[in-house]
Amino acid sequence: MLAWSTHQLTEYFTAVNAAEDETSAIANAVERAAEMVDAEVGAVVREGGVHGAYGFGRVVPEAGVLEVAAGQPMLVVPNVGELHAVANPLGDQAGEALVVARLAEPFAPEERQMLQGMGQVLGLALRSIRVLAAERHLRAEKERQATSAQTRQRLVETLLTIQRGISARRPLPEILDAVTGGAADLLGGATVTLLLAEGGQERRLTIASTSGGGVTPPEGLARAAMAGGSALVRADARGQMIAAPVRVTGEMAGCLVALLCGVTDENTERRDQLAAFAQQVSLALTDARTVEAVREAHHDPVTGLPNRALFLTILHRVLASRATEEDPTSVLFVDLDRFKAVNDSLGHEAGDQLLALVARRLRGCVRASDTIARLGGDEFAALLHDSPVETATLIGERIVAAVKEPFRVAGREIFIGASVGVAVSREAALKPEELLHNADVAMYRAKKDGPGRVLAYQPYMHAEALDHLSLRGDLQRALRDGEFRLQYQPLIRLADGKPVGAEALIRWYSPTRGFVSPVDFIPIAEEFGLIIDIGQWALETSAVQVARWRRDFPDLGLNVNVSGHQLVHPRFADNVMKALAIAGLPSSAVTLELTESVLMSEPDLGKAALHQLRGLGVQLSIDDFGTGYSSLAYLRELPVDELKIDRAFIARAELTGEDLALVRTIVELAQILGLRVVAEGIENAAQLAALRRLGCGYGQGYHLCRPTDAAEVPAKLLRASIAVLG
Amino acid sequence: MQINPHRWFGVGQSGAPDSAKAGAEAAHAAVGGRTAKAVFVFASASHDLPALLAAVRAEAGPAAEIVGCTTMGELGSAGVTDGGVSVAALGGDGFTVRVKVAPINPSDPRAAGAAAAEAAHHLQDEHQALILLCEGLSGRPHEIVRGAYSALGATVPLVGGFSADDRQFKQTFQFYGDEVLSGAVIGLGLGSDGPIGVGVAHGWRRTEPPMVVTRSHGPHIYQLDGEPALDVLLRRNDFDGSAEEFFDRGRQLQPLGLSRRSGEDIRVIHAGDDAERSVWGTADVPQGALVWLMEGDRQALLDGTTQSCAEAVAQLEPLPPLGVIAFDCGGRRAGLIEGGLDAEMRAMHAALGDAPYAGLYTLGEIARVRGALGMHHLTLVTLALA
Repeated sequence: MLAWSTHQLTEYFTAVNAAEDETSAIANAVERAAEMVDAEVGAVVREGGVHGAYGFGRVVPEAGVLEVAAGQPMLVVPNVGELHAVANPLGDQAGEALVVARLAEPFAPEERQMLQGMGQVLGLALRSIRVLAAERHLRAEKERQATSAQTRQRLVETLLTIQRGISARRPLPEILDAVTGGAADLLGGATVTLLLAEGGQERRLTIASTSGGGVTPPEGLARAAMAGGSALVRADARGQMIAAPVRVTGEMAGCLVALLCGVTDENTERRDQLAAFAQQVSLALTDARTVEAVREAHHDPVTGLPNRALFLTILHRVLASRATEEDPTSVLFVDLDRFKAVNDSLGHEAGDQLLALVARRLRGCVRASDTIARLGGDEFAALLHDSPVETATLIGERIVAAVKEPFRVAGREIFIGASVGVAVSREAALKPEELLHNADVAMYRAKKDGPGRVLAYQPYMHAEALDHLSLRGDLQRALRDGEFRLQYQPLIRLADGKPVGAEALIRWYSPTRGFVSPVDFIPIAEEFGLIIDIGQWALETSAVQVARWRRDFPDLGLNVNVSGHQLVHPRFADNVMKALAIAGLPSSAVTLELTESVLMSEPDLGKAALHQLRGLGVQLSIDDFGTGYSSLAYLRELPVDELKIDRAFIARAELTGEDLALVRTIVELAQILGLRVVAEGIENAAQLAALRRLGCGYGQGYHLCRPTDAAEVPAKLLRASIAVLG
Repeated sequence: MQINPHRWFGVGQSGAPDSAKAGAEAAHAAVGGRTAKAVFVFASASHDLPALLAAVRAEAGPAAEIVGCTTMGELGSAGVTDGGVSVAALGGDGFTVRVKVAPINPSDPRAAGAAAAEAAHHLQDEHQALILLCEGLSGRPHEIVRGAYSALGATVPLVGGFSADDRQFKQTFQFYGDEVLSGAVIGLGLGSDGPIGVGVAHGWRRTEPPMVVTRSHGPHIYQLDGEPALDVLLRRNDFDGSAEEFFDRGRQLQPLGLSRRSGEDIRVIHAGDDAERSVWGTADVPQGALVWLMEGDRQALLDGTTQSCAEAVAQLEPLPPLGVIAFDCGGRRAGLIEGGLDAEMRAMHAALGDAPYAGLYTLGEIARVRGALGMHHLTLVTLALA
């Protein structure tokens, strides 16, 4: 007979939760439970007493009921007999139970299970009624006090806002601010602060919200209230202080503290009001998916470190409490190098594992009293007490060295690096955000000089960073005003010197900056998302140009560089085909050049678009081949037609045996896979001769032909062709 | 009629249209010139009730406690009447009778139940029962019974019924002494040195599948399984028409059974609203409850009759029954109409060994012998005295 019992829990739940006060909730619970299991009697044992006794008549055998709550399985009821009894806990509180007893027969396991559920339901209902009752009490009290209609209106609105916020699951900080703000209002302009205990052994108290002024709350009083579990009042020279503890799912979670300046009279009413607000906080916190959510609001779930908001709060406190300007506070801004590549190639889970390992190493680099935080993505920060710039830089270098050591993630060794920016403050007035920003600027500058560096902030860096920002505006204008131009560099067949194609290369002559190298502006264009438009402009322009040249050089092909950002754009394939159609250039004449790192970072996203374009006849070239991230698997998986050997392999004026061996390997690999090979950066005859001997099919470089403006290209092509004929 | 000098019990009925005459006839037969301690009067609301009670008083004598209520039909050893009156009387040294009356405050119906239960508080007799006659249209009958149980506890059995007004569902009455009351609970504490038996049975069975009451308020059901309740009932009964046509003259009383350990706690749905698509009965149906539509064929209902009587009489062993007061549900009556009522009376005769009985068709029955639940519907509750 399991069915009848499970049927009834919902009905029971509804009945118990419909009650508006504790007495009727208990009465409902006891009566329904007794009726549902055919028990003659029932009661609730709570706070050492018997409540809601039902079915006993006028004389309740209280001692017997208390014994049942303590575990006694039988209950003697005068004039009825010896009954089978069962106690069902209301929650965690020992000795609090819903007790029922039945004459007929002992309770079956499924009945006991249902009754256990009923006990829990009642416990929950009672706890929420207490909170609601406190709130009602609070409202009534305040309404009595409120002399003007305006004040009353504001109070009701405050309580309603909090209530609505809780039920609508508004962000937790918003609700907490509403509580402290409301309490500050209610207590006539007191400073009200909500302190929440962090995890960990020391249970450090953090300010979660504060209203009504900048006075630091007395932590000692808060701790005393938390230890005692009830609201405390203390008076000192400043005035009166009240502290009311906040619980989350029964556990002590923090304290609401009010400071009433200039108030001296002991007023229990105010204490009760604050306690009621503390219960509002408890309700909100419990509702906000319990303690975890509170922690998550201040800590990064991946690493367990404080998040940006908490870091800034701590920094604020440290800066504000600094005794003299002589003991400086340092902030390190740590940015990981190559993290994105790991995350992209091994997956987010591995990325998260790596971040957690990095966090552990960073913690090992600082003192216990210092703070390490994860700001987001692959950015970390360190707050160092009493550290001049020299010490901070040393710790930065220690961090760089620690991160450089290999990590073991997902069964393999991972090598990453870190760049660190250092900012030190002696000024009491400096805002925490500014200090962190300075460290960020220094890090950016450090990264620019190459990975694995530590740099301390200098004011000039700020100007550079500003320049970085202004570059964005300039790029937008360049695109709009046609400041970009294309140059073309022919691809030469090494066997006979015949030009077979031209690579389009973008150039920017800024009216204010002069010539800006693509190495400098392409990353910025990518960062700000301008690369899509710039790339499309280059493709359209060069396609029209090459189509025109093909009237005289019908076999001429076009090579165009494509950024990873373009590749993952959902309309990439369409955009390419549109450009070719407008220009009247056959797709077979076009080769898209992608760098290895791009193919590696977005292997899946780009694949579909590349296969689609390949199906339409467009060819694919791997630029800078050999410098990328190692996997050759994509050569099999992607529709590649051409490999361009990076200039680094043939950079020496005279190629060594080692260089030649590497190039030969690539050439042989390409031959096996049936791919064209293009050698980049051929700068002298010796290099040309060596590459020819190795069987490299095509080449580019100053020795063959420099990049040229479009107007001069036909002449160069013609000359090269004649040279071949000659 | 059986006469026992120490404890006696008598019944009488009348179908006379004149109220005074009907009261006199029925009371005369029940009291038979003896000194009655209690007289139970069950009469149709169509009677001139003060006149009827005055006539009963004249027969019962000034010392007798007269209690009673209006009905949805009267029953007794002489058969079933509509618009009639049925009377039971008891007396003798073996019986003790105490009466307590309480008006029902709509916001706190349980207080009336608790107050009426005080009638049984000071009984010293070896065997006791509390007989409750309650207003049937208060909307929260369970609360009245819970109130009585909370005051009395498990030591005393509860029996009784809720008053009706034939099929009007407008106003029902309770009787106490010569007074006609409405919205009241009458508690009669009965003590006896002979055994008292209580029988409870209904004879309905579940029709699968069950449904969840997804929206309800008090006795009103708005949704079953998330669908308008009236639509569900019409569909389950394969009926095409309005609520009024469906519930026409009570033929389509819809018993709903709430799942309980000991079987079903039954509610009778007797009306619906076409616009609101809701249905309702006289007792609350809690939201979240799992309910079955109950069905009963004539034989099953008659088996229930026999079972209830046999159960009550068995508790008197080894004594034979002196007589029985029966609280039979108006809904059972609807299921037994057209020949079934005579069969039910024959079944009672047979089960009671020709002991006299009198009672009424109610808007709800009360019986609590074990467990804590005392409120029933579509049930026959019998109180047997020895």
